[in-house]
Amino acid sequence: MSKIEKALTLLYSIEAGSKTDAIYQSLHAGPKLIVTFLFLFAMLSMPVLNLVNLILFFLYPIVLSSLAETTYANVFKRSLIVLPFVLFIAVFNPIFDREVVFQIGNLGVTDGWISFFSIIFRGLLSVQALMILVYGTGVNNISKSLHNVGVPAIFITQLLLLYRYLFVLLQETLSMKRACDSRNYGRESFPVKFWGTFIAQLLIRTIDRSDRIHKAMLSRGFDGSIPTSARKSWKWERRDYVFLVSQCVFLLGLRYFFILFR
Amino acid sequence: MHVADALISPAVAITAGLVSGAIFVYASKKTKKETASENIVPLMGVMGAFIFAAQMINFSIPGTGSSGHIVGGVLLCTLLGPWAAFVTLSSVLVLQCLLFADGGLMALGCNIFNMGFWTCLIAYPLIYKKLIHYPSSAGRILWVSILTCVVGLLLGAVSVTIETEASGITALPIGKFLLFLIPIHLLIGIGEGIATAAVIGVIQKLRPELLFQKNVGDIEYKKPKIKKAILAFVIAALVIGASFSWVASSNPDGLEWSISKLLNGNELENGTSIMHDLSQNVVNTTAIIPDYNLTLSGIIGVVLMVLIAWGVTGLIQFKKTVAKKD
Repeated sequence: MSKIEKALTLLYSIEAGSKTDAIYQSLHAGPKLIVTFLFLFAMLSMPVLNLVNLILFFLYPIVLSSLAETTYANVFKRSLIVLPFVLFIAVFNPIFDREVVFQIGNLGVTDGWISFFSIIFRGLLSVQALMILVYGTGVNNISKSLHNVGVPAIFITQLLLLYRYLFVLLQETLSMKRACDSRNYGRESFPVKFWGTFIAQLLIRTIDRSDRIHKAMLSRGFDGSIPTSARKSWKWERRDYVFLVSQCVFLLGLRYFFILFR
Repeated sequence: MHVADALISPAVAITAGLVSGAIFVYASKKTKKETASENIVPLMGVMGAFIFAAQMINFSIPGTGSSGHIVGGVLLCTLLGPWAAFVTLSSVLVLQCLLFADGGLMALGCNIFNMGFWTCLIAYPLIYKKLIHYPSSAGRILWVSILTCVVGLLLGAVSVTIETEASGITALPIGKFLLFLIPIHLLIGIGEGIATAAVIGVIQKLRPELLFQKNVGDIEYKKPKIKKAILAFVIAALVIGASFSWVASSNPDGLEWSISKLLNGNELENGTSIMHDLSQNVVNTTAIIPDYNLTLSGIIGVVLMVLIAWGVTGLIQFKKTVAKKD
């Protein structure tokens, strides 16, 4: 499967995921966004060398993925895409930091190795939290909720348009790429000169399309921003408050677990 | 180029978030004002999606066996103008973070600053916009695009280093980190510049009216603005440089932590209790004098960066005016 096809599959799976009627999906986007931020804050403020406590934080994606009715294995597998970048940076910690903390048999475990795993876990955890948020909420609801907190309307419009046309443009790129690939005899990348023409062609098609879109929008009463209050009940309900409070307690418990139960 | 959540501390994330947020709100207002009646809103949306799509198509880098893809900051600027490009690029970064786990929610402020601010609001207006007046020759577009992309990316790489070091998660010393990042970003910048020039060249040939400067440039952008912009940038850079070094020193797991560990490896008691963190924090924030050098070095670094960028563009400008007089 090519990169474009993979991206499209991912987008469709997110769209489908956010439309099921699991507990997590039925909540308002606001508390979910707040809880995700709190989780990231609590987790990232953990001292790097406190590896044991960091591992406890894996309880959060495990619990939430069951609330969002997806398997944790799935979330975990998809979160592995963050590994290459994080590994590139983390790999230097064992090299520069060689102080031995404890021994397992003959093997001395250094601070560097502890912080190495700490960085990797931080990477995995932050991506998993984000994935569950997006999977269980959908980009449209997140945008609406961002608008409620005061993010400028022009940006929300931009985000929504971008998201919508992502599907269309990826499809278009895919068909152009297929046409090229079928004449290319297995060549993966294009020489810059052809690439320039290819991309510029895509760009010109894109701009023409945006012109048509704009005319269509104007004819339907577009005045510069997309109205975001289309959903009928866009208010916090009791379960939203329950979710927020319970998650706060849960996160505090995770953050200070070893201090509470020392 | 994306900074991951895993490598930054909340203090750095919040500082960068506030800085990017402020720039972003200003850019949004500016975009709205400049383009009230234009069809720029759908154009921005679709251009954002275009950047996504374009990133999926690789070009082969001449002379090497490998291939790369475009990042698109400079290209966006040439079509939308800097402010709208900044807003568009921010939205691309938000969706990249939400959908494809590039970077992260906490690191968003850092990433918008590293990629959007330097490319769209510094490198493009100070280099590209000054040196290119359409119609331009292919050669000129090529070297100016390369220069713009390289400067934008290098400034971005330097701020990646500062943010990561200030967070103190990695044990990699700042000098070595820069040594890793700069050559890579130099290469990426050259590739990006070539790719950008290739696309702009084709557009100039086929649909020149799409290019931003040709469109509204002369009315929207008068010269005196640039001086004000430079002043504002210098002040912003100073504040950011100073605050980053302050964050570095007031954060218990900060720069000092990794440096002291490198030097003698014996200051490693923190991270055991909240009280300890707290006391460490208080000590670090109140001890102004030991931190003085760090803040100073932050300011000096930023000033140097600005002067170099300014000097390079100034020289080119000078050469151009001399050539014109002849």
